Amino acid sequence: MKKKGTILVENIVFIILNLLFLSILVLFLMRQGSGAIVLGQTYSKQISMVIDSAKPDMIIKMDMDKGKKLAEKNGLDFNDAVKIEGNTVIVKLSKKGGYSYSFFNNVDVSPYPAKDEKGEYTGMYVFVVREKGVENG
Amino acid sequence: MDNKKGTDKLLSIYWFVMLTLIAGGVFAMVYVFYGPPYDVREIESEILAERIADCISKQGVINSDFFVDGKFNAAISESFTERCNFNFDVEKGYGDTGEIQYFYEVEFYTLKDTVNPAFSFYDGNNNWKADCFIKKENNKEYAKLAKCKEKRLYALSKEGDQYLIKILSVIGKSEKNVKQ
Repeated sequence: MKKKGTILVENIVFIILNLLFLSILVLFLMRQGSGAIVLGQTYSKQISMVIDSAKPDMIIKMDMDKGKKLAEKNGLDFNDAVKIEGNTVIVKLSKKGGYSYSFFNNVDVSPYPAKDEKGEYTGMYVFVVREKGVENG
Repeated sequence: MDNKKGTDKLLSIYWFVMLTLIAGGVFAMVYVFYGPPYDVREIESEILAERIADCISKQGVINSDFFVDGKFNAAISESFTERCNFNFDVEKGYGDTGEIQYFYEVEFYTLKDTVNPAFSFYDGNNNWKADCFIKKENNKEYAKLAKCKEKRLYALSKEGDQYLIKILSVIGKSEKNVKQ
């Protein structure tokens, strides 16, 4: 009787260890896909492609909810996540560096995060495309 | 009993080795999948070709700026990039020599002669053009070459002459799109 009990405990420990192992693998996979480097690169390239296709006076909204969560987790203001300097989009979702990608469309683009009535970030980013050299308003 | 303990130990080592192999495999697969940068050059070259086509003709009629006195306006080749609102000089110091990462070529053919273009012009880094004509048999070896897109369209001049227009757009940018 005592022997059978030992076998059961061993099996349970074995199953628990297997589940733990699989959980760690799944967590690792999920973290890789939503890491600051991969996500920053994805966003900067997506934004560049959208700007390349855009025409002056367009207002483009992009869902960057995952980026918002990651930036907040890394202690960054979502307002500083996207910068456009000249013809280069820079996406920064962690305190270390950021990812930049250029676009060929010769336009001025102003990015800002959308806010709800309470003044909180919605996770959407807005890009206002203007003709080069034309003032805001 | 001694034999059973020995078998158990062997089994434990076997499982440990198996788990290590599986974990190693998964890590390797993830590294291969997420390691190299996303290659968006094909989409980018397609967008560039579309934008050029939009600049040349609207609803199948070639922009009147392309003609002067019934002939092609050679001056358009100088100003086309600016007219189309393109800026190719965007990444200073990109690449070893800070070279321009874009190139396009536009060729107009009459329907009588589809071999020799009646008019053509280009802009950007001419060095990228050669990459378009290399037969890319092995994707890995040729991944660093520029990505090209050729677009063909038919359009009419205001006088009603029909032209075949070939647009070749090329994007370099291998540093940001291919694992170095």
